[in-house]
Amino acid sequence: MPGDRPAPAGRQPGAPAARRRARPLRAAALVAPATALMALLALSACGPAPADPPPPTSSPTATAAPTTPPPGPTVPDVPVVDAGLGSLPVPAPAPVRIVVPDLGLDMPIDAVGVADDGSMEIPQDAGRAGWYRYGPAPATPEGATVVAAHVDSWTTGIGPFSRLRDVSPGARVEVTTSDGVVHVYAVRDVAQVPKSDAPVEQWFDRTGAPRIVLVTCGGAFDREVGHYADNVAVTADPVTDAAGG
Amino acid sequence: MRARLLTGTAAGALALGLVASFAALPASAATGGSAKLSVLHGVPDLTVDVWVNGERTLDDFTPGTLAGPLDLPAGTYTVAITAADAADASSPAIGPVDLTLAGGGNYTAVAHLDAEGEPTATLFTNDTKATAAGQGRLTVRHVAAAPAVDVLAGGNAVVKNLTNPNEQTLDLPAGTVSATVVAAGTTEPAVLGPADVPVTEGALTVVYAWGSLEAGNLAVATQSVTGLHSDPAGVQAGQVGLAADSSPVLPVALTMLVAAGLTGLAVAGRQVAQRATARR
Repeated sequence: MPGDRPAPAGRQPGAPAARRRARPLRAAALVAPATALMALLALSACGPAPADPPPPTSSPTATAAPTTPPPGPTVPDVPVVDAGLGSLPVPAPAPVRIVVPDLGLDMPIDAVGVADDGSMEIPQDAGRAGWYRYGPAPATPEGATVVAAHVDSWTTGIGPFSRLRDVSPGARVEVTTSDGVVHVYAVRDVAQVPKSDAPVEQWFDRTGAPRIVLVTCGGAFDREVGHYADNVAVTADPVTDAAGG
Repeated sequence: MRARLLTGTAAGALALGLVASFAALPASAATGGSAKLSVLHGVPDLTVDVWVNGERTLDDFTPGTLAGPLDLPAGTYTVAITAADAADASSPAIGPVDLTLAGGGNYTAVAHLDAEGEPTATLFTNDTKATAAGQGRLTVRHVAAAPAVDVLAGGNAVVKNLTNPNEQTLDLPAGTVSATVVAAGTTEPAVLGPADVPVTEGALTVVYAWGSLEAGNLAVATQSVTGLHSDPAGVQAGQVGLAADSSPVLPVALTMLVAAGLTGLAVAGRQVAQRATARR
């Protein structure tokens, strides 16, 4: 990071208090982000710089010898960021394709949200998977990427996710993101659970180690409500190997 | 939800700043959990130092930047804002003021201009209640030397008659809002914007209008507080029963055929209608 002065890391917590280097008040209205980052918070009065004359704009009482405060406890650096519009974080690339070689599964992925009933939106076509776009993506540092697809649908019949229940632990899952990167996972767990007990908070967890959760339906079909009784969920962990990562 | 901290006594070039950390906390501060505190510098043209409990905590804090969040034990913190590089906090431009932070609270202290252009500071409480799945929260704060404003989105006033130093909050479907700030009761000219404001799902996005209308340096600052999201209610990922564990296949297949037939009829019907429309 370019900067116009040394980073505060060189500060010595035990050093005697010293005047900070003199610098006229900056009048510039606009501050570049890099400068903002450099303007990090200094801790207490333990500055590294030698005593300098006070800045010209300081108040008259500054000439009175201030009581030197004892060095305070170590204070963590306070992160400072540019607050301008456009400085908000850019989301990670969306997953666009999923392949599970052992199952002969190769599907495009659509970014989806929330259905009217509050459940996760699912592509009508059982041949397409949906990625919960509000949650993590494969490159997100933390949390579970959730990809779901209909086990069957009115328009397309049985879909590839019907085979998820047959996948074995250790099986390879490849997810391609929109930037062309292939993220490789190994299946850790396959579970079939009644929907009433579905661990939705685990599937959609945005914290913890990166992982992918594949969800579809299974079990008996309740024709009255038009839903299956169970969910089938496959959890897979990232693999860093020669072919991906 | 905000508390006026003080009005600026504003001395000359000295100015404002903000708050922030906390070396040497008073023993009385450590009561009942921790609070999160961010500090926004919204006074144009002034670089300041911020002192907390007598310790220099933010050095050379520049306008338009956001510090934090800091995890602080709940308690009361004494904050003073001086010119950058002041020897100590004995001659603050603002303060000293006491900020009382409750355990579990999420706060932003903003150093800004009041409506008349005098430096001041306001402590805002950020609304971090959970948002519904698919929704984001937008809080708009008026901390500029400017009269009351409306915020227009899609031609409609989504925030009305907002005055310094107040805020309005609304939950919206996640997406991007093209927002324009206008004088209250008008639709043009824009005093700020239009600007694309992200409404991030499961997050509070705070948008600040800061600076001075008269000085021509109105600007937008943003802050994001994440982790407010709720999970979808479930995953309903099947429609027919063809993949059911123990389902009579024949009736289902018949149902499927009927459904396919209906779909086909619907499509055909639509095509006929379209052709009819095209002929007209």
